[in-house]
Amino acid sequence: MATQNFDPTQPVNMIDLTCNQVDSIYQHMLSKGMPEVMWTVDIQKFVWEEVRDAHKNGKKLVAFGGPVPVTIIRAFDCVPFFLDTIPTRIASMEDLAGRFIDETEKCAPTSMCAIDKVQLGVALKNEFGVNIDAFVHATVPCDSARIAYPMMERLFGCPCFTFDCPFRHDDKGYKYVADQIEAFVPWMEQLTGLKWDAARKAKFREINEESNRSYTLLTELGNLRKKTPCVLPGRMLVLNEIVAPLAGTKECTAMLATQLEMGNMLADMGMSGTRCPEERYRVCLMQNMLWSNTGIMDWMEKTYGAVTVMDGFGYQDGVIMGDLDNWEMVKRQTAESMLLTPMIHGATGPTEYWLKVIDKMYDEYKVNVSIFMGHVGCKHTWASGKIVTDYIQEKYGIPTLYVDVDAIDPRYKSNDELRAQIGEYMESVVGAENFTK
Amino acid sequence: MSYEKLFETNISGESAKAWKASGKKAVGYVCCHVPTEILLAADVMPIRLRATNCVDSSDAEAWMSSFSCSYARSILQYLMNGTYDLDGLVQSDGCMMATRILDNWEHIAKKNNKAQFIHQIGAPRITNDTSIGYYKAELQALADLLGEFSSKKVTDESLKAAIAKTNEVRDLIAQLSALRKEAKVSGTEALRVMLANCDMAIDEYIAAVKEFLADAKGRKPIESRARLMIIGSALDNPEYIKVIEDKGGLVVADDLCFGVKAFGDKIVVDDKDVLGSIANYYLNRNVCPRSLDNRPAIHKNIVDACKEYSVQGVIYEKMQNCECWGGEAYYLEPDLKAVGVPMLQVEREEQMANAGQLAIRAEAFVEMIEK
Ligand code: SF4
Ligand code: SF4
Repeated sequence: MATQNFDPTQPVNMIDLTCNQVDSIYQHMLSKGMPEVMWTVDIQKFVWEEVRDAHKNGKKLVAFGGPVPVTIIRAFDCVPFFLDTIPTRIASMEDLAGRFIDETEKCAPTSMCAIDKVQLGVALKNEFGVNIDAFVHATVPCDSARIAYPMMERLFGCPCFTFDCPFRHDDKGYKYVADQIEAFVPWMEQLTGLKWDAARKAKFREINEESNRSYTLLTELGNLRKKTPCVLPGRMLVLNEIVAPLAGTKECTAMLATQLEMGNMLADMGMSGTRCPEERYRVCLMQNMLWSNTGIMDWMEKTYGAVTVMDGFGYQDGVIMGDLDNWEMVKRQTAESMLLTPMIHGATGPTEYWLKVIDKMYDEYKVNVSIFMGHVGCKHTWASGKIVTDYIQEKYGIPTLYVDVDAIDPRYKSNDELRAQIGEYMESVVGAENFTK
Repeated sequence: MSYEKLFETNISGESAKAWKASGKKAVGYVCCHVPTEILLAADVMPIRLRATNCVDSSDAEAWMSSFSCSYARSILQYLMNGTYDLDGLVQSDGCMMATRILDNWEHIAKKNNKAQFIHQIGAPRITNDTSIGYYKAELQALADLLGEFSSKKVTDESLKAAIAKTNEVRDLIAQLSALRKEAKVSGTEALRVMLANCDMAIDEYIAAVKEFLADAKGRKPIESRARLMIIGSALDNPEYIKVIEDKGGLVVADDLCFGVKAFGDKIVVDDKDVLGSIANYYLNRNVCPRSLDNRPAIHKNIVDACKEYSVQGVIYEKMQNCECWGGEAYYLEPDLKAVGVPMLQVEREEQMANAGQLAIRAEAFVEMIEK
């Protein structure tokens, strides 16, 4: 469990608290001389300090939820603040996550997704620690978000813009989102007082170029993970989910470039960044990432040589923009990339989208262990679960383990219970040897 | 009396069978964003799926998990066990639970080689010109596909004829509401009458409701201890309201998607854009908090209804695992308090296992109002 340098009975300043925590990890690593992994903290420092210092740097802070065109927000010189990063960041901190979850449960259903419960709880308690200048959100991913966002709109009391995301991600749907992007630009002009003029468009072009670089690297990282053995540890997938909100920044590109460089270097040397004594199994976690216990992936690596090679929600399939000078095309591709954001692509739409993601993962990543790490708040993915797991059984001959977890609230299931469930499956169904016994 | 059929809450499938026997199609739909006018215009009988009296949804639970809403799950159960034997299913992405009925049914039907017309329309969750345009295109696609399926092309004329019929129903339900206001019809009866619209052929329904209203007009007002309004998740079980009314409350108004909101005001047709009129109407109707921009308007409707129907208390029922109807209390309760109306929140499941507890809470609520 992460250290908790706060008093749960007192109001919290979430941004300061997080910046301080990240900084202490940074200082600790500096003092220990761990230059080879500093980049994993550098990116976190960038994310949180950018939010904390937005106003100091004369920028507006635009909170967002769901898939929104972050590149346009950046082009207008604003700092986008992805609210999901708060729950995912504090998921392993029982008291802190619990503090906000409990607050939300006073006025919203307990069955709601804890990602949204935490965000809403922070808003209800007014403990973000920064003033939000605008709130941009979308009507997906799910019904939980659809309760939380309108309430947060009212709590923030700032200008808000809502993107309506279509259920089907087809040509009509992309055009529909592209039309809304067209309307978003003048809204941003009004918010910032800046014009969508030649200079702004040039800046937007640069951001898209940078975003293309990031997504190209991400694809290469994906290709690297396809190799057997996989040299990158499962927990790196968690870090990479940061790309959607950060694409377009040099820091994001740098982080991915370093990760790729390290990965290639390890592969060339015949070494691995995983904790596996030897890769025996290639695991797909097909529902949500377990932020409340990312250590479980390390444990699977160490105990069974089972490497999480990909996760279904986080599966990154970014769009590389084509002609960056063609506004119609850029709008359309921005719309596509919004609807391909993790959690949106597979979970929010017809179940067949999820099956497509499954095909890509199971074919290309040579998955042989299938785990439905089912976040209890994500009821709509549970409701697709049997279709998906039957499909995997029929097409790939792999039985799937169902484990109910709360991706954000560590109080839901203890580490021991989770290990026992996975361990029993690995040993009795998969027939895995336990390296630690 | 010929209107007795209005009060049979079990899903008999009788009207659908008769309709199909004449060589025509009957198609189910879920949620309020599938305009029945389009089905009617294609000469397809629309059956709004419900889960009334479903006592066991375990087969469907295997598909949708125990984390799903039991109403949605029970509808899937009724599709799986043949309670509904229809030619297909049309759905909008009402909420994510309802949406998964379609995914699962499509999959199960295919597995069982059961030919079905399956179509999903996207229904936007905000209302503006862009979203209405998108929705209209979705409706046009539905109209085209249904026309092919039933071999009856949907035209402006057939749509206008269908609107005339559904508007007549809307008018009758407005009369029903007026009788509820006068306490001549109970909430239990009213829900039965409105639910009957789900499975009866429209002409048959219109005739029956007319007869019922003619009779009910001559009634004496029902005595009660408290005039109540009920709001919340999909409620398709009149017995639920009966438990409340047996304790002395009279449910004179509702804000339920199986209640008056499913009917709403009449559609005003622009002859130059008939489908656009339908799209405009359905997206502007404040029927469900699934949309992101209509919460304050829904709350205002509820408060206004409390004033208009002299409501003394609101019962807010929430289906377990229903998020759509999960978060209304935070802003609504203070609004109601401002007009002196208390609110009781109750959780429920489709299967009425907790009737005793509901009775106790309803009685206490009625007593509190009386004091
Ligand atoms: S994890 Fe599932 S329930 Fe939670 S926000 Fe994402 S889509 Fe919604
Ligand atoms: S009761 Fe709630 S969760 Fe269930 S189908 Fe209706 S809106 Fe969806």
